[in-house]
Amino acid sequence: MSRAKSSSRKTASPPPSPAVATPQSDPSPSLPPAFSNPDTVATYKSLYDILGRAYWEASDVNAKDTIQGARDSIYEILTDLNAAKLEANTALFLALQAKIRDTNKALDEIKEKVNNITKNISTASSVIAAIAKVLSITPALL
Amino acid sequence: MYYRKSWSNLLFVCLLFLLVGCSISPLARNTAAFSSATSLVADNTQNAYRTAVRLNEEAQASLLVARYDTDHPMDPHSIRPLIDEKGLQARTEVLDGLRTYAQTIADLASGVSSPKLDEAAAACGSNLKSLGDALASSTSIGINITSTEANATSTALKALGDFLVNRQVKSSVPKAIQNMDPTVEALSRLLSSDIDILRDQAGRDYEQILAQQDGFIRHAGSSLSASERRAEIQRLPRILASKKATDDMLTELQLSIQKLAVTHHALAVAAASKDSASLQARIADLRASAERLATFYQSLSESSK
Repeated sequence: MSRAKSSSRKTASPPPSPAVATPQSDPSPSLPPAFSNPDTVATYKSLYDILGRAYWEASDVNAKDTIQGARDSIYEILTDLNAAKLEANTALFLALQAKIRDTNKALDEIKEKVNNITKNISTASSVIAAIAKVLSITPALL
Repeated sequence: MYYRKSWSNLLFVCLLFLLVGCSISPLARNTAAFSSATSLVADNTQNAYRTAVRLNEEAQASLLVARYDTDHPMDPHSIRPLIDEKGLQARTEVLDGLRTYAQTIADLASGVSSPKLDEAAAACGSNLKSLGDALASSTSIGINITSTEANATSTALKALGDFLVNRQVKSSVPKAIQNMDPTVEALSRLLSSDIDILRDQAGRDYEQILAQQDGFIRHAGSSLSASERRAEIQRLPRILASKKATDDMLTELQLSIQKLAVTHHALAVAAASKDSASLQARIADLRASAERLATFYQSLSESSK
């Protein structure tokens, strides 16, 4: 089974945004229900490792190919499972994105207030400069 | 009398500066250090995603080669990224947002508008001197504002501006940091969860590449020259060394991310309480951890040249 064949997996629909994003400890709902059981996943991982040891112990090329063929299939299942978990986490990242954006917006407003303090001093400076300019031409008017 | 007044003005300005400077520096120093460490962690995390996705593509490509001449060849179209474009984009934006947040609190705490404020205060003093000159020449008031007095006015305005900025920063930045704390903690957990997955996947990706390389050597048999065969066999331990290095890097990154959340929490506490001794130790620890990773990535990019 290649990832293409297994790519028939459903696309995980983003869950509603939680108050605080919490990563899912279990596989995504986009996978078959059997994979929501951590024991099943652990069994597959264990089988992959056992086949790995068998591969390196085998001395015959054909035996190695057979073992690796089975191992490849398990690899693809576990890869799809990890891709689905990462996809489920993407929804949580999107929820956090909004929170971080809001915080940065609030900080920008504070920055603007700080800039206004400088602007006020600049305005005072401009007023003084304008008065000085008016006074400099006053003698001519007097 | 005149000189005594000038000196007392200058003394007042100096005291104001000291007050402003002393109260702002711990927050400014801590947020700047946090920002710099956060930027490194964000860079390292983005590099880790790219490394993991590339590695998985390599593992899938090796599977494509292994199956090419079999009765169930793999369709090259089936090679899909471990994390799709949307997923990578979401992660990149969150990490960039975190970097911006850290940079903004550092800018605010250090008085982001300082150069502008200096400029405005200097212009105000200079304009005041021109005003005095204009008054002296156009009226009988006889006001004479000396350069020293104009400079003292500029300095006083600068101190006043700093004071107002500082008051604004102190009343809002610690609150913003505290409000952000649960988000940083949640982000840390989420990134840590991602890294658990990447570590698990990277381990098998390397095992696949190793087995496919071994299969390639065995099937090639005598079609490889002795030196070619030797070179291909020598790749096997190098693949295992890369597997270990990648796993070590991801473990270290996970620790860095956990440290980032702990450091941010300490920053939130210190911003409110002024007690920053333990925070500085945490920041130093976080930065050292992030720098080790940055060196690792640099060595990776240099070795791939």
